[in-house]
Amino acid sequence: MEVLEQTMADGPGLRTSIYCAGCYHHCEGCHNPQSWDMANGHWVTVDELLEIIKADEISNVSFSGGDPFYQVEAFTNLAKRIKEETDKTIWCWTGFTYEEILASEQLSMLLPYLDVLVDGPFILAQRDTQLLFRGSPNQRIIYLTPKEEDVIEGTVPLIKLR
Amino acid sequence: MVKYVLKRDGRRVDFNNQKIISAILKAMNVTDAGEDIILAAQIADNITRNGKEEMSVEEIQDCVEMELMNGPRKEVAKKYIAYRNKRNLARKAKSQEIFKEIIDAQVNDITRENANMNADTPAGMMMKFASESTKSYVDECLLSDDVHDAVKNGYIHIHDKDYYPTKSLTCIQHPLDKILENGLKAGHGESRPAKRIETAAVLACISMETVQNEMHGGQAIPAFDYYLAPYVRKTFQEELRRQGEYDNKDYSYLNNFPIDDYIKRDLVGRQGDERIVQFAINQTVNRVHQAMEAFVHNMNTIHSRGGNQVVFSSINYGTDDSAEGRCIIREILNTTYEGVGNGSTAIFPIQIWKLKKGVSYLPTDRNYDLYKFACKVTARRFFPNFLNLDATYNIDDAWKADDPRRFEHEVATMGCRTRVYGNKFGPKTSIGRGNLSFTTINLVRLAIECMGEENKEQKIAKFFAKLDWALDISAKQLNERYDFQKTALKKQFPLLMSGLWLGSEKLSPNDTIESILNQGTLSIGFIGLAEALIALIGKHHGESAEAQELGLRIVSHMSERVNGFAETFQHNFTMLATPAEGLAGRFTKMDKKKFGIIKGVTDKDYYTNSSHIPVYFRCTPQHKAEIEGPYHKYENAGHIFYVEIDGDATHNPEAIMSIVDLMVKNDVGYGSVNHNRNLCLDCGYEDATEGLEECPHCHGHNLDTLQRITGYLVGTTNRWNSGKLAELKDRVVHK
Repeated sequence: MEVLEQTMADGPGLRTSIYCAGCYHHCEGCHNPQSWDMANGHWVTVDELLEIIKADEISNVSFSGGDPFYQVEAFTNLAKRIKEETDKTIWCWTGFTYEEILASEQLSMLLPYLDVLVDGPFILAQRDTQLLFRGSPNQRIIYLTPKEEDVIEGTVPLIKLR
Repeated sequence: MVKYVLKRDGRRVDFNNQKIISAILKAMNVTDAGEDIILAAQIADNITRNGKEEMSVEEIQDCVEMELMNGPRKEVAKKYIAYRNKRNLARKAKSQEIFKEIIDAQVNDITRENANMNADTPAGMMMKFASESTKSYVDECLLSDDVHDAVKNGYIHIHDKDYYPTKSLTCIQHPLDKILENGLKAGHGESRPAKRIETAAVLACISMETVQNEMHGGQAIPAFDYYLAPYVRKTFQEELRRQGEYDNKDYSYLNNFPIDDYIKRDLVGRQGDERIVQFAINQTVNRVHQAMEAFVHNMNTIHSRGGNQVVFSSINYGTDDSAEGRCIIREILNTTYEGVGNGSTAIFPIQIWKLKKGVSYLPTDRNYDLYKFACKVTARRFFPNFLNLDATYNIDDAWKADDPRRFEHEVATMGCRTRVYGNKFGPKTSIGRGNLSFTTINLVRLAIECMGEENKEQKIAKFFAKLDWALDISAKQLNERYDFQKTALKKQFPLLMSGLWLGSEKLSPNDTIESILNQGTLSIGFIGLAEALIALIGKHHGESAEAQELGLRIVSHMSERVNGFAETFQHNFTMLATPAEGLAGRFTKMDKKKFGIIKGVTDKDYYTNSSHIPVYFRCTPQHKAEIEGPYHKYENAGHIFYVEIDGDATHNPEAIMSIVDLMVKNDVGYGSVNHNRNLCLDCGYEDATEGLEECPHCHGHNLDTLQRITGYLVGTTNRWNSGKLAELKDRVVHK
């Protein structure tokens, strides 16, 4: 487990990124293979994390890893408290697909507290550096809460990553 | 009796026979027989009474030679002549060597002092020759001895010293409305008042380009949106006239038609007046866009400054929320987002978003949409930067939401950070005013000299004593330069003093500028607070609360002293967080030579600018804002806050908005976000990869990579000096 404060690479705005240890997807070409091993981290309580998250008035929250869904109960507990005690948004990355999560009662317990899910395994053969917040095009940015419209009348369309 | 001496530079000074005596004694000292003070005095006396009233230095030296040759000590004559020749050669050799370096287009820190200038072009070389010659003239002829010593020994640095003899002032915020409403006369050209947006935009360029050659610093427009807004409506009216001509009708009754926003819309389904007005709006928006494009293009291409540099131009905008003002803002932002030519990022003008709650910042504000867009533009193009009008020290009670001239009570800044606002001798405003000259103190040198003290209290007390000495000598120097500047005649600055500088319109061409010069500021800046703190207590202010406390004590003390100088000398003295470009490496080099490598202090090739925390120090943007924010209120001549961000900012404009929020929370006055931006000029590929050398898409090497240096953007680092290059290498992102 590692916490990155005020990073700009894990979703929109500044974010407190919580990188958990432990992942069994073992995608070829993973950018963070040292996080596969559950033993390669240290234990942190939900309260400790919450304290870091709340101390930062500006940043929203990201779950990454590792795969947070391998510690789904703890992350559900954390996400629930974030939603109860702050107005921060939560982005979550996972190697499971959205359909796999929906099909599992256990995994889907986290979904009600997330704003955005970035799903699916990384596929090295399809690697594309021009994707927004993802590594390969099979991965999807799924908005679980409504996405804020950001068209500004009269201004040129912005270049967008897929 | 000789009364005056004509010096080599043409100055006439009082004759002093002691100088002759001491020169002879020096020559005697290197002979075996040694000094003979009586003989030396006799020779000096003979020369004094040779019947002339004025003599040149060379004449005097000739006489000394003759007297010595005819006297009993011929061996002294030999030494005297040898020394004289050596000095002459040295004088010649030094300038010859520098000239040769310029001629050979050698890459060194002389030709790279200023990253915006191409010193390889003929016009650039010409300027360098002049600049190098005037610098030594200033040292020898215009500075007092103690000031010269402080400069030579690396305690203080006089900025734009090469311009000192010209009596030029640093910078100005243009009251562009005067130019647009009255027209201007520059060189052989005269222009009538502007009637449409294209002319207004071109006049803005000409105003800055002309005045740039009359000053040595930046040119800025303090309220770009307010000034140009009237010409949007005039352009709309012109479009109505055109349509009327085509339709053989008179549409002038629509001239003042209420327009909520100038937005292009489809004409399909629109009838009657609505169709006529919308068509005119569509044409107007097109023309405003074209005019903004032309403006930006002009500012980046016309090398009007001495034929080798574009204008150091800046524009402030964001608070005009009229439909016309919004049209100007939207189109300058659209143009900036799209880029110039084939999509390159425009380096000039530096653009500054004026942030004000109730107008241009909060989600409920009329200009919030444009603020959001400004954040998206800066995420791709580095500009606009953000100027916080709500900072405690920027709020002005004279500002009223319904005042059509409210922009006069909004602080404006030069893009690099220099600003004027407070005024002891006239209206409190940024407009029609600027800095007169500034001088920077090397805090690191003062701190290093105290490192020998064992006791911490004594070490710090000694530092403050030295700091007071450096402040006194800086104030003295600025005041002396002021006394020199004030003898300039109005006619030396034809456009600047035709009414742009506050109060200048009432002067006649042969009047001196003395009566209006006090509208400007004299600024004392500083470099290397971080290294000074390390030298004094072992840690910089980013990593230790104790260092932060001492840092604030140092800077607030400087601020107090600077305010005191304003009273003593009766000028607008202000304190500057110096934008040190050439200086970043120069002081360090001198200190390294004198004191060797001191860990954390002189072990790099540059000193950290002003009150910043070091670029190599890793911390979150919030920590950086919390540490650096509190300094801004003391640095009333200008300050800037930077965050280096990781990831691809273009696709994360929300991060820019969050950083602006951090600025506002921490009372930061002015700030911006640095990131990487690469553009392949062959195929148009863009990304944020650090150190990109080959386009991953077409494998071309024709890349446009952008970096920021002391506020200015530079496309290639070829023209960066060694100190700044070393600083760039050490920059880390904040997260």
